[in-house]
Amino acid sequence: MHLLRTTSTSLLGATLIATAAAAQDQRLDRLDPSVRPLVASVIDSARAAGLPTEPLVQRALEGATKGAPGEVIVGAVQRLVADLGEARSALGPGTTPPELAAGAAALRAGAGPAVLAKLRRARSQTITVPLAVLADLVASGVPVDSAAAAVLALASTTRDADLVEFRRAVERDIALGAPPGMAVSTAASAAYGAQGLQLDAGARQSRPSRP
Amino acid sequence: MFEHSENVIERIVAHLRRPVQIDPAVDSRVMEEIAGGPTPRVSGPHEAPPAETATRAFQFVVVAPRAARVALVGDFNDWDAARTPMRPSQRGGPVWTAVVPLSPGRYRYAFLVDGSRWLADPAAPAARDDEFGTPSSVVTVGGS
Repeated sequence: MHLLRTTSTSLLGATLIATAAAAQDQRLDRLDPSVRPLVASVIDSARAAGLPTEPLVQRALEGATKGAPGEVIVGAVQRLVADLGEARSALGPGTTPPELAAGAAALRAGAGPAVLAKLRRARSQTITVPLAVLADLVASGVPVDSAAAAVLALASTTRDADLVEFRRAVERDIALGAPPGMAVSTAASAAYGAQGLQLDAGARQSRPSRP
Repeated sequence: MFEHSENVIERIVAHLRRPVQIDPAVDSRVMEEIAGGPTPRVSGPHEAPPAETATRAFQFVVVAPRAARVALVGDFNDWDAARTPMRPSQRGGPVWTAVVPLSPGRYRYAFLVDGSRWLADPAAPAARDDEFGTPSSVVTVGGS
């Protein structure tokens, strides 16, 4: 009982300290006075839940700099908290803040939690870049399933720099008119080498026809 | 057939109308002539020569004709427009550059022209998770 009381007191103290930390973050002074306490409260909750808070501060500051209405800023920060939490559930408790931020972006792009979990199992090193590349590919118009299949296939054996180059190759091909699904398939095959790569995407696009 | 050809032409026109992008492999001497200074890159953030530390320098470039001032803002500088002003090319051309050290991670950013006009980086991935009604871009810094 004594231990329980001590633990509860410690948690309460940690929460109060965290609250004080958020309230004293002078960067949040750039927010409208009516919005600042709401954002600070959301950030405090995230901190208490063990989520990284810096992405939340940055999202709020982005909204402030862009002149977004207060409710939009609060909503954006709340959604990011939810995404970070879902990313942590999928990636595991030992996930680093950059991985969580990239995972949240991948989830927002449309990747499912199962894809994030597979990526975690597929790669022993950090998966920040694979997750970010996945989100970027989807933003470029690549179907989620195709992007996930390609990144999963490459993640275990490909360096970060080569993954970024892979993404650039896909974007180049798309800019030149290739259908996004075909572009990712072609670039993945090239990156994977002569052994070829089968992308079980479930969202393949037809081969581009010639005019 | 005719409609398909039109689509192709539309795509080509759209591509040609995009803001200037030059392949980073372009002859550095040509780039020096353009900017009148150290070699700029005009195709999104580019990594400077690798350093021993985890933090790496990235060069951001944007073409903004007739701009009086351009700021680089993003997750790496608290979205503070006063923190990272971009430098115009030495000959007063439309090429603006800034170099920022970045640790591994994913960063959202944008260019703010004359304090009021937002530009995404045309040569970098768009931030799909933009919720504030203005475009942003993404740069990803790897660790391997």
